[in-house]
Amino acid sequence: MRRNRILVCCLGVMALLVRSSIGQEHAKSEKSPSAATAVGPSTTSPKATHDSTSPQALRSSASDEKAARIEGERRFRANCGRCHQPPHKFPPRVMAAAIRHMRVRAMLTDEDMRLILKYMTQ
Amino acid sequence: MKRIGTFLSENGRFRTVAGFAILLLALALSALASSVSAQGASDENVKPIPLLQGSAGFLTNFEGGDAHLTPIVTPVVLVPLGQRWLFETRANFETDMVQVPGLSGFHGKVEKEVDYAQLDFIANRFMTVSAGRFLTPFGIYNERLYPVWIRNLQSDPLILPIGIGPSNASTGAMIRGGFKTHPKFDINYAAYFSALSTTAPVDSDRFAGLRAGIFVPSARLEIGGSFQHLLQEERSNLFGFHVIWQPTPLPLDVRGEYAHSKRGSGYWIEPAYKLSQLPFLQNEMRRTQLVARYQQFFTGELLSDALPSVNTKQFEFGLNYYFMDGLRATSNYGRQFSSAGNLNVWTLGLTYRFVVPLGPAGSIQ
Repeated sequence: MRRNRILVCCLGVMALLVRSSIGQEHAKSEKSPSAATAVGPSTTSPKATHDSTSPQALRSSASDEKAARIEGERRFRANCGRCHQPPHKFPPRVMAAAIRHMRVRAMLTDEDMRLILKYMTQ
Repeated sequence: MKRIGTFLSENGRFRTVAGFAILLLALALSALASSVSAQGASDENVKPIPLLQGSAGFLTNFEGGDAHLTPIVTPVVLVPLGQRWLFETRANFETDMVQVPGLSGFHGKVEKEVDYAQLDFIANRFMTVSAGRFLTPFGIYNERLYPVWIRNLQSDPLILPIGIGPSNASTGAMIRGGFKTHPKFDINYAAYFSALSTTAPVDSDRFAGLRAGIFVPSARLEIGGSFQHLLQEERSNLFGFHVIWQPTPLPLDVRGEYAHSKRGSGYWIEPAYKLSQLPFLQNEMRRTQLVARYQQFFTGELLSDALPSVNTKQFEFGLNYYFMDGLRATSNYGRQFSSAGNLNVWTLGLTYRFVVPLGPAGSIQ
């Protein structure tokens, strides 16, 4: 009887987790258009905008950001995909903790860690 | 799924106390981490927050006609401290429920384990120092592929018990790291020492070992080797090799390991192919993965409770379907051949990976 209760509890917890995950997926898919538009302005950091306002500097900074993001995605797929299905993006402070864990567990290099963190949080 | 090195029965009370102690430590460190990150909130870098993550699964196994129901929950608590420290611990709650003659339904006992509880210090870009109870880095399966949401097939490889000690973990200290030595490849390494412990929640053997690997990002190929010297009993040497390859033009993962010890040796190789390249039902096909594994085990000079007692071959074939990131249906069929008798192994199940922030998470830019 007690085992059955434990089994029901386990199934209940799993059902709740699945439901919350589905909810998060829906929330993500609803937010994605606005998130995509938000990526544009954020490609130039506030510091860069403040320091150099010339169009060339802005273009150069934006292309550096884009290159870093592409490299981050490449390293994300090469490193994370080695062991598991690459996850979706996480909020920055969540990803910062997860990437520190993976730096230890998967022995990511310092550079991989920084680029993947950047890619996963933008 | 069968675990190696059970922590059952007689030390249940001690385990409960130890579990609570670790939980309290995690919560205390979590509070400390929140205050540290609050103090440093004005820094440019993103401040990590404590996380509760892990996996849950409900698996049904049929081994030689016997049905086992296995609910399993494996929470991982991560507590980053400042810029360089991380406390991480993983617990495992698992029940192997079977039909008992004379009783209706399935019955089993919840096994509670602390898989690891370690403190990591990122000393510099080349080295991280870990101390406490950690998963033994011999080969790749135990440390990197073990959780139910990661493994492609739910059954353990036959050679898994080789080199990882009782309860899959070591008690001691370890240095490890990954760094780029050449533009075309990265090196990773782990060197560790484990002390003898006979106390059930933290039992471990006395040994020292090293694992090193080379990762070639352009070819998406990692190869490596493990070596361990047992500092007790027969004081023997163990060694092994591992490979992970993901060819760039194909959605294919190939993983394999070989391990050798005086108690036995063997290998497994496991290709897994996602059907995303098929031109029909693309939404379904990109979520579908076919897996196969072939493995062989050869007995050694000495016997081991955790390893098969006779030479064994096993072939398995599996099908996984990813409903979404982290939620997966899994199934596999295998047949084991040995002089002790051939048997079929079936598994059906559902696995789920979760991440719960224990603080303000921020938002994706």
